[in-house]
Formats: sequence, C-alpha cells, structure tokens
Amino acid sequence: MYGYAGKIARINLTDRTVTQIPTSKYVPENIGGRGVCNRIFWDEMRPGIGALEPGNMLIYMTGATTGTGIPTGGRSVFTGISPNSFPEQYAWSGIGGMVGAELKFAGWDGFIIEGRADSRVYIYIEDDRIEFLDASPLWGLLVHPCQRKLEELHGDGVQSMVIGPAGENLMRNASITTSNDNVAAKSGFGAVFGSKNLKAITIRGTGDVRPYDIEKIFDLRLKMGSPYMRPSPLHREATHGMDGNEIPVEGGWLRGQVACSHGCNQHCNRLMIDMKSAFGDERINQVEKCVGIFAYGFQEDCSWTPIQNYETERNHFLPCKMLSREEPEPDTGDPHFSELFTPVRGDVTNYWKPDFDKGSVMMDMCNEYGIDKWDVIVWYMTWLSMAKKEGLLDDLDFGMEVDVESEAFVRHFLDMITYRRGKYGSIFAEGMARAIRKLGKEKYGDTIYRGRYSQMTGERIDVPVSLETAWGHSYHWQGRGFEATINKPGWIATSLELMNSSRDVQTVAHHHEKFENYLEYKDDPCHSPLLVEGVAFDENKAEIKDSVTCCDWQSPDLYWPDMEAEMFTAATGIPMTAAQLSEAAERSRLLFRAILIRDFGRCRDMEVGAIFPTMQYPDPFGQTVGWDEWNDLVDIYYKRRGYDIKTGVPTRPTLEKYGLGDVASALGCAAN
Amino acid sequence: MDTGRSYGPHVAQAPPEYSLCAGCNSCEIICSLVHDGVVSPSRRRLAVRRDIRTMMHTVYSCQHCTDHPCYDKCPKKGTAMKLTPDGVAYIDESGCIGCGLCHKACVFDPPRINYVKSAPKETRRARKCDMCLGRPEGPACVQWCPVKCLTVV
Ligand code: SF4
Ligand code: SF4
Repeated sequence: MYGYAGKIARINLTDRTVTQIPTSKYVPENIGGRGVCNRIFWDEMRPGIGALEPGNMLIYMTGATTGTGIPTGGRSVFTGISPNSFPEQYAWSGIGGMVGAELKFAGWDGFIIEGRADSRVYIYIEDDRIEFLDASPLWGLLVHPCQRKLEELHGDGVQSMVIGPAGENLMRNASITTSNDNVAAKSGFGAVFGSKNLKAITIRGTGDVRPYDIEKIFDLRLKMGSPYMRPSPLHREATHGMDGNEIPVEGGWLRGQVACSHGCNQHCNRLMIDMKSAFGDERINQVEKCVGIFAYGFQEDCSWTPIQNYETERNHFLPCKMLSREEPEPDTGDPHFSELFTPVRGDVTNYWKPDFDKGSVMMDMCNEYGIDKWDVIVWYMTWLSMAKKEGLLDDLDFGMEVDVESEAFVRHFLDMITYRRGKYGSIFAEGMARAIRKLGKEKYGDTIYRGRYSQMTGERIDVPVSLETAWGHSYHWQGRGFEATINKPGWIATSLELMNSSRDVQTVAHHHEKFENYLEYKDDPCHSPLLVEGVAFDENKAEIKDSVTCCDWQSPDLYWPDMEAEMFTAATGIPMTAAQLSEAAERSRLLFRAILIRDFGRCRDMEVGAIFPTMQYPDPFGQTVGWDEWNDLVDIYYKRRGYDIKTGVPTRPTLEKYGLGDVASALGCAAN
Repeated sequence: MDTGRSYGPHVAQAPPEYSLCAGCNSCEIICSLVHDGVVSPSRRRLAVRRDIRTMMHTVYSCQHCTDHPCYDKCPKKGTAMKLTPDGVAYIDESGCIGCGLCHKACVFDPPRINYVKSAPKETRRARKCDMCLGRPEGPACVQWCPVKCLTVV
C-alpha cells in the first residue's frame, strides 16, 4: 500500500492487550484521519457513555500523506467523546508535530485506545511492539520534563504525546502535547488520557513510508506555500503585540519561526526566545500561534481585514504566511483591493494592560500544565476581568484578590484550577461552561459587561461577562467576544458552521469565500443558497484537511481546488479528484452527524437552540440576527445537506446516496 | 565539535542569525526520498536532533574527514565503503554486510553514520551522507531546506 502504513492498533488498557485492524478495512473509502475515526466511532460506540468513563474510546489517526514529505501531511487527529464540549459530545482535535510520522514509521496508521488501566501507565510503541509501562516515574511531571524523561528512558529521537497535571487531574480542557509545543487542545482529550490512567504515548519507528509519486511530491513542495525557500533568521523585535495591545519590550525580544509538523515547508509558529518562565529562573523558549498573542495584553480585540475571509484570484494568500510575516505584496490593481484590505478595528475591551513577563508566565503555565490556552486567555481570564469590574466576584473567595493584571494572581488561579485546590479550583477545573452554571449562569454568565466599545460606531457593545457560544466553547470569529470584528455575512457563515459542529470549528474551517460570491449575498445572507454552498464547501474542506491530512493554514486554496486530491494521489497512487474527495467528506460529515443524533440527541431544536442565543448580542456594528431569518437559513442549509427540515436528521435517500444505508436503518429513517 | 581533523566539503547548518532551522525534518525526508524512494528514519543520511525544551534543533551530517576512519575500518572496503577520486567516503549498500564497524569508528558524537542496530540482519545496512553523488543539483537537503539553513562548506 502506498502512503498508508497498513494497520491500526486497538489498544485495550483494561486488559492490556493489542490487536490489529487492517487499514484497508476503512480506506480508501474513508480516506484516512477523521474520515476513518468517524467510521470506527459509528461502528463501535453506543449511546450513554461519558467522556471520562472507561467506555470512551479515543481514536487517533494519521493520513495517507503523513510521513511522506508532502507539506502539512504531518498533521493528525484525535476523536472521541469530548469532556470539554457542553454537553459532552463526540468531537475531534487536530495535532501537528512529528508523532504521526513516527507512528507510521513504526508501521501503524493510527490507534484506538479503549478501557482504563488499573494503574498509571504509559504506552511505548517500538515498531510492531506495543508495551504498557509503569508511569510512576512520570506521574505529576510537567509537560516538558515528562517529554525529557521519556527521552532519557527510551533514547533520543523518540516522539511522545504527553499530558501534564491538568490532564492527570481531569481538567476538562486539558491538552495532549507533542514536539514544538503542538497540542490537541480543543476537545479536552488530555482529561480522557488522565481518566484512563494514561500519562503518555512514546513512539520509535524504524520502518519506511513509501509514497507513490516522488516527483509529484517535489512539485507539491514547490507549489504549496510558494513563494518560499529563503532564509528565516532570528529577528530582534522592539515591540510585541498588535492592534492596540503593543508593548515596547526593553532590549527587544528574539523571534524565530518554526514548523509545526513533519515535512511542512512552512514555519508559521513563532518561537519566542529567552522568555520568562513560571517555573524557576531559567529563561525559556515558547511557541506562539494565533491566540497566544493576547496573553500579553488584551485591551483591544483583534482587527479584521476582509481578505482574511474573502478572496479574489488576484489577492489570496495563505494564513501560514501571516505569523512568519511573509505575506506576498497585495495586488493593488485588483478592482476590489480597497474593500479587501481595509481593516476593521477591533472593539476596545479593557481586559488587561500589556505585560510581557506576565503574558509569558501565563503561556508557560498553559504549556507545562497542559491546558488549552484558548480557554485560559479568551475565557477564564476575560471572565475574571469583566466579572471583577462588574462587582460579581465580591462573594467568591479565591484565596487571593482577583487581579488579572497581577502575575501572582495568574499563577495562583492557574495553580488552583489545575490542581483542583479548594472549592473553586474544582469548580473551574470543570471548564468555564460548567463552572458558570454551577455558580449561577444568570448572574455569573449573563451579566452584561459595560466596558466594551466598538471602534466602528463608538457605541458601547453589551456582551455578557462570560464569552460563551455554543457547545461549551467561547466565541471565535463569530461577531462577538474574541475575534468579534467580522461583518454579519461572515459571522452568519461561521455561526452556521458552529451550529453543525460539537465544538469550536474555526480552527479547521476558517471561513474562506470568493469575494464575488460575498458581493451577491452580503445584503441578505440568511436567504442565500450561495452562502450555504460556501459553508458546505468550507465544512467539507475541513473534513478533507483532517482526513488527507493537511493543514488549515494552507487549505483550502480557492484557486487551486484540486490541491488536496493531488496530495492524496501523490501519497497513495489512488486516482482522486476534488469532487471525489468532496463526496468522501459528505460521507464523513454524515457519519459525524449520525453519531451526534444517535448518541447525543442532536436535532434541529437542539442545535438552533444552542446557536441562536449567541447571536442576540450586538456585533461591533450593532447587528444581530432574527429568529425567522436564522431559521430560513437553517432550512436552506438542511435542504442543501439532504436533512429532514423538521428534525435535522439526514434522510434515507441522502444516506443511501453515500453508501450509508446501514446508518439510515440504525437512525430509523423512513424509506421514501 | 572540533576533532582536530580536516574535512572535505560537507553539509553544515548555518547559524540562526542567518537562518533558524525550522525543525521540519524536510532534509531527512528529502534525503531518504532521493536515495531510496521512501521516507524513513533508518534511511536518512543526516539527522535532525530535536531539542524538546528549547525547540532549536541541530542538524548532524557527515563532515567527510579527509582521513576517513570509517572507510579504514570497513572490512568490505572497496565493495561496501568506497572513496570517490576526491576522497568522499560513501557506502555502496549492495556490498554492506551491516557489521557497524564504520559507525563505531566515526569520530563524532552522535556518529554521523546511520546504523540501526535493531534492524533485521538481512536488511541491516549502514548509511551515510554521500553528498548526493552524481546529482547535478548537489545535495538535495541543501536544495530543499525551506529556510535555506543548510549549506555546503
Ligand atoms: S530542512 Fe532545513 S529547516 Fe527543516 S529540519 Fe532540515 S535543516 Fe531544519
Ligand atoms: S556497516 Fe557496511 S559500510 Fe559500515 S563497516 Fe560494515 S560493511 Fe562497511
């Protein structure tokens, strides 16, 4: 088999057994990655299992491109019941690093972790051998010391995925970390590791991955992410931060750029060198991507420039060029140039003043404890800031005066929740959605914060103190909260994507749309089949990215629709077109939806009920969406997807069209 | 690491002030792809050693010692370990018996010869950088490093 390693390991922690499943049972039909995970989960799981119960199954899969040298193929994915979704639901979490490739060198395309070990263990995989080893020397270690210890135990060159104390203590937003600080964070699968008494998985592979078309791999390396192949020196930066959060840094700070995953030809992660550590005097290096920049200062929300979502043939570029500051020069001759490149300034938020060292400590604690940074920066800390200003915290004794601008408080709070110290430690370790409900949502979640102002209208923007959106996640490019400054057609699309998901989806389905389409529907987005087609396209591409595999920061390229298919064929030799990949993505999404329906009660009322209230707060332009217009949009979307309009359940003809007649029967879909 | 020897032309990592290694492992990947048509840690002729904590990575490659102790120790020299007219020691794998003496003889730590002791005897071979002998563009790792942090010195 070209591209694939050929087998998947079923690892049962309860009885400490390993069995093999041929990958060919699932591919090429389900492509790889998330597509295969969805099929396995549908086939093997049943309703009524909790995320932290031994019955939860954590599935990890690479793609056919992983370990082949096809850029971005190093990405891989976990799926399972997410403890961080609210309510608990089936979800996924992508991860980069070297670990996926190493697993394939060991001869495995993925693994399924079942059961719960009766004592603390870690799994050691060396080629065909899979062992359950005593994790006593590792338990309690922070993330980097744990990775180091595993190298000491098994030699240089092993690749590990580990959890920190947050995962051990079943913090619901605990992450799993691998090299270059890559994490699977969004779904809280670190807590699933912890619940299974599993501290780490360490891999050494000595075998081969054989791709089909090496010349094509070289072509892809040249074309994907072009222009590139030039030196990337360390830079001394005088300031840090952006959009009103700039901090002058005394003596400057040193920035490098590193790649996230095996074989990638980009280097979009920022390496911040010689930063303040939360643990001892030694200076440390840390990786920053995306949300991390707000740890250092958050007085103003992220700005938005339409080119981030809307593209023309003359102006489109990869997000991975952004953090390495290698964007191509815009084409000013584009008739849409000024509309595409005029930034919309973010709201003034007044959460915390810039503080370089405190930000670094916050980042380091998230990295070492293994907590989802997103939740800490965008949700816990913003809530503490807003709730304090609204006088909501007077009755809550955290053992220290709440002050998000104080490094001592940040340390205290993150310690408290990671180790579940005291009454509030345990409450907040359950994640913000659950903590807020425990405290009383009306007061602690829904109270309006009166310190946020739109820079577009000058008006106060009344959003609540808890930046919660659907499914127990916080706003992300959704017109409110964090990265709020996207216009209404944009947040209508991203909210529809979130509605159909079980977690924040903007990490893998960043909304991309041709500007010409946007012009068609911008005045009435909720009645536009074109907008719905764009949403379906981005959702399908997200599925494809996590299955082929490739990266959200390089895909999709709207003007190179065959890219992912070309990657797949180069790896496997299996002819594939963009249309065929789309079909596989539709199948994978149907399985995902079927799982949500069968095991988690998903239906139209549930998902509309989850998303609609999140759009009732004003966006920076004062806009909201009405009940009727939103439901009209949902009708159009369900029709496009082939779901029953009333229930949201895929119809039998839809399921049968994608070879899922068995799923239709299991869901009780009527024959028609 | 100074061994007090003299070296022939070899692949070396540039200092981070010129270009910081992105830690992508593309050099290893490209190396085994051009030599063997596969990607494999057992077949790469140069190695990226990753530092988990600093996330600054080091690339190790054969420095082509002009006195080639690896060549000298090979019991199959001329069949396995060979020398080009300008003194580049390279391994003809078809003649290699996988004894590992070249790996032992390498003066560097870590040794610059890739030798996987745990590999089955029948397929166990030593592998080292041959500067992509006969490749008109020169070493493929240098050509394809996305950040141009590899050079021939
Ligand atoms: S290809 Fe270049 S950047 Fe990537 S690991 Fe090798 S030397 Fe470093
Ligand atoms: S391993 Fe091969 S090249 Fe090295 S000394 Fe033995 S026979 Fe010679």
